[in-house]
Amino acid sequence: MIPPPDGGACVAMVGKDCVAIACDLRLGMQALTVSNNFPKIFSYGDVHLGLTGLATDVSTVSDLFRYKVNMYRLREERNISPQTMANLVSSSLYERRFGPYFVSPVIAGINQTSGKPFICGFDSIGCIDFAKDFIVSGTASDQLFGTCEGLWEPDLVSCACSGDMG
Amino acid sequence: MAALFSGAPPQGGPGYSFKQTPTMAPSGERQHGFYPYTDNGGSTLGISGADFTIMAGDTRSTSGYNINTRYAPKLFKIGGEGPDNKGARIVLSVVGFAADGDALKERLDTIVKMYKYQHGKPMSVSACAQRLSHVLYNKRFFPYYVHAILGGIDEDGKGALYSYDPVGSYEREQCRAAGAAASLIMPFLDNQVNFKNQYEPGSGTGHDLQAKVAQPLPRDTVESIVRDAFTSAVERHIEVGDGLQMMIITPNGVEETFTPLKRD
Repeated sequence: MIPPPDGGACVAMVGKDCVAIACDLRLGMQALTVSNNFPKIFSYGDVHLGLTGLATDVSTVSDLFRYKVNMYRLREERNISPQTMANLVSSSLYERRFGPYFVSPVIAGINQTSGKPFICGFDSIGCIDFAKDFIVSGTASDQLFGTCEGLWEPDLVSCACSGDMG
Repeated sequence: MAALFSGAPPQGGPGYSFKQTPTMAPSGERQHGFYPYTDNGGSTLGISGADFTIMAGDTRSTSGYNINTRYAPKLFKIGGEGPDNKGARIVLSVVGFAADGDALKERLDTIVKMYKYQHGKPMSVSACAQRLSHVLYNKRFFPYYVHAILGGIDEDGKGALYSYDPVGSYEREQCRAAGAAASLIMPFLDNQVNFKNQYEPGSGTGHDLQAKVAQPLPRDTVESIVRDAFTSAVERHIEVGDGLQMMIITPNGVEETFTPLKRD
C-alpha cells in the first residue's frame, strides 16, 4: 500500500539558454500544515534535484544523492553533469524496484560541456521522462500541467521563467 | 510521471451501469450490482465579461477508455421559443454523468418556458440560477451527478455566470472550469482572467510588489483564453478532445460556434 504523500509540488522548465526549477515550502499532513519551511530542491553542483512525495523519503533520498555525488566528485575530480545525474537517479531508484522510495524526482541543470539546458523527471522507480519543455511533480501536478501547457512557449527568457509573468 | 500520486485516469475500466456481472455469494445465491452513475468525462468552462458571457465545452463523450461519440454537446440553450430555443438568453453547461445532464437541462428548460407562459416575461438569470439550485437540491439524496454552470446577461446588462456543485450549492463568479480537466484549466484561468500571481512589472520585490488588478476582459481576449485552455487540456487529458463548442451570450442573443480539437 502506498503511503499518503505529505503534500508538495515541484516544476522545472526550459527557457532560452536557461532552466528554472521551483518548489513550494509547505510540509503537511493532509490539511494540517506542520511546517512552512521545508525546501524540496537540493543542489549538487551544476545539477538541481527536486523531490516531492513522502517527506521522510525526500530527506533520505536527498542525503543519499549528496553522498553519491560527493563520491563521484572525489573519483572523477569534476562536477556531475545533469545527464549523468539523471542516469544515477534512475538506476538508484530502480535498485529499490520492489520497495520504492515514495518520491517523484525532477532534475534541472545546464550541461557545462555542451552549454545546453537539461531537464527531466522520474517516477518512483526511476523511469526517466526526458521532456523538452517542462516537468511537473507532486500533489499539484494536474494544476501545474494545466498552467504550464497553457503558458509555456519556446525560448522564454529568465524573468518569465521564474514565475513573475506579465 | 507522477502517476503514483495523481489519480490515474479512469479507474477500474469502463464504468457501465451494469458493469459488474452477477457474482456467486459463498452461500450460493447470485448477487447483482447496479451502479446508477457513469462518468462521461469532458470539460466545460465559462467566463463572464462586461456585457457578455462565454460558455464552452468539448464535445467528446467517454466511457472509461472508450469514446461513445465525438459530438455530444454539453452546452444547452435554456428558455426561448420552441424546441430550438429561439431568442434564448440563458445557457446551461453540464459535465459529469451525461444522462443526468440531459435530464437536468430538460427540466430547467421546461421550468424557464413555463415561467414565461405564466408570468408573460422572460425569466431573469438570477431567478433561473436560484431555481436551478433548488432543482438540484431537490435530489439531495440521489443527486444529478453533474457540475453545472449557468451563463447569461443579468438585469443590468452585465455578463453573469453561476457555478454549482451536484447538490445545488451555487455562487456567482467571473470564471469557472468544471469536469475532468477542471484541475488543469482552473489555475490557468485564475492566472489569465483574475491575474492571480501576476504583479505590476517594476513595482519592487517582496511586500512592495503591487498585485495586477483584474478588470473585465474584451471578448476576443476571452475567446482566445478559452481556446488556449482547451487545446492545453486536450494535450494532457485523455477524456477531453474532438471538438470545442462555444456559446457567446450577448444582450442581442446567443452566438454558437464549433471548432475541431485533436481527436487522439
